[in-house]
Amino acid sequence: MKNSLALTVCRVALLWAAAICVLFPVVWIALASLKNPEQLNEPFLLSFSPTLDAWRNVLDSGILEAAGRSAIVALTTVGISIVVGSMGAYAIARFRAGGTLTRFGMLAAQVLPPAVLVFPFLTMAYALRLNDTLVPVIFAHLSFVLPVVTWFLIGFFEAVPRSLEEQAQVDGFTRFAAFRLVVLPQVFPGMGAAAIFGFTLSWNDLFYGLILAPGKAAILPVAIAGFNTFRGVQIGSMSAAILIAVVPVVIASFFIQRRLVQGISGGAVKF
Amino acid sequence: MRVMTFKHGMVAPLVALFIGVVGFPLGYAFYLSVTDYKLTSRGAPRIVGADNYVATFGDAAFWQSFGTTALFVTVAVGLELLIGLAIALALQKQRWASDLTRSMLLAPMFITPIAVGLIFRFLLNDQIGAIPRLLQTVGLDYDFFGPGKAIFTLAFIDVWQWTPFMVLLLLAGLESIPKQPLEAARVDGASGFYVLRRVTLPLLAPVLVVAILLRCLDAMKVFEYVFATTRGGPGTETQTLQYFVYQTGIQFFRLGSASSMAFVVLVVVLTVIVIAFRRMERAKRS
Repeated sequence: MKNSLALTVCRVALLWAAAICVLFPVVWIALASLKNPEQLNEPFLLSFSPTLDAWRNVLDSGILEAAGRSAIVALTTVGISIVVGSMGAYAIARFRAGGTLTRFGMLAAQVLPPAVLVFPFLTMAYALRLNDTLVPVIFAHLSFVLPVVTWFLIGFFEAVPRSLEEQAQVDGFTRFAAFRLVVLPQVFPGMGAAAIFGFTLSWNDLFYGLILAPGKAAILPVAIAGFNTFRGVQIGSMSAAILIAVVPVVIASFFIQRRLVQGISGGAVKF
Repeated sequence: MRVMTFKHGMVAPLVALFIGVVGFPLGYAFYLSVTDYKLTSRGAPRIVGADNYVATFGDAAFWQSFGTTALFVTVAVGLELLIGLAIALALQKQRWASDLTRSMLLAPMFITPIAVGLIFRFLLNDQIGAIPRLLQTVGLDYDFFGPGKAIFTLAFIDVWQWTPFMVLLLLAGLESIPKQPLEAARVDGASGFYVLRRVTLPLLAPVLVVAILLRCLDAMKVFEYVFATTRGGPGTETQTLQYFVYQTGIQFFRLGSASSMAFVVLVVVLTVIVIAFRRMERAKRS
């Protein structure tokens, strides 16, 4: 009895410690975005009259345009990946289409070092005079979002009972109609999770954006990295920019955490 | 016959797009790796055969960054595993506000890595950072980005962001293992620690392996933290593989040799993936 009480105390203490570790940097950044440059030198200053100067600065610096470009890239990549990926994932899950090689390719491409693919994308962009535009960034992001989304969906399609579509075919649906009208609605939750996960992957990526579009078409992570070098460091504005980048994806992530496991492991681990 | 057409028709767009965005660039990268291509030079690049690879294998700086990356991955993933397992076990028993606790503890893995890097750059800064100040009040003077320490600081940042990924997978694993063996052991009067070591961990092994492999492969690609904080310094101490390849290709414009380095990394990664893939397929069949 005594033993289990000690365990409970340890357990709760551990969770509190973890929560503080997670929240502390985020709260600190939120406070920093409301401080003026002098107050920033006092990390523990908690009661101060907040200023919105940093937020005004950051909004004037074109961060919203960068966020818009990031959204365009992420939505385009995810849109293409969901359409192409769900058709492919269904064929792979149901008919083993493309064999083990396709399946393996989907897993391997997720962990491919970006350093391998980025230089071909860069030289091709130069050759087509598309460097510093969003086009090569979209193609580069497809190289990892497409496999992730497909891999994700394979697991969800495998969980749909075969009898459903057999019944639909008996009822006179074509195979494609059975897929679109009967099977797809079954995996909508999985598709939603895959879409949000793919979106965060694209939204968070710095490496490709930094190399393929470092200038006028900079996406959000590149713009944030720019606060680091541009005219010294503006911590206040950078903090505000970080919050703009972080808040949407963290909120979106709350909706998908349960399905994430099943997706990441390709259906091998279920929650 | 119609099944075949349907099956191939459904998978064809995927395969075509995949070849376009992964297969072709991969082949092109291999071509670049056997040329002396430089971003600055005009005219057709010259084929130099295995020269770049020979140079890469003989490059001490490349192997140094290989070692740095290995150290980073080992420290980071090791800590993530230990802390992640502890948190997953604690969360599994959590009843009060469990969904909220989980969501909050898992949040770091969704934050843009460059933002995480920059946050810690200033949080740990020895002039204005909160944590060094805090340590000074108890008489400790620790330079987080100093020689011999910077790589561990980077690993610590990785732990902050990616332990949640471990927690997520391990928690799922814990909740899916059968209850009977645990209860049987408890009825037999086994201690909690004994149950954990002899019953829970062996049952969790397949998930543990998948989680560790996925984390290792991802940690190998570390770039943002280095770019945000140390830029490879002090000296070249924290030059990780991805950062080293980036520098070779982008700052020195040597795409040929950068591609050959990337390919050497790729071979290492592929070996690990083949193992991971086999494990996953086996886990699924059982």
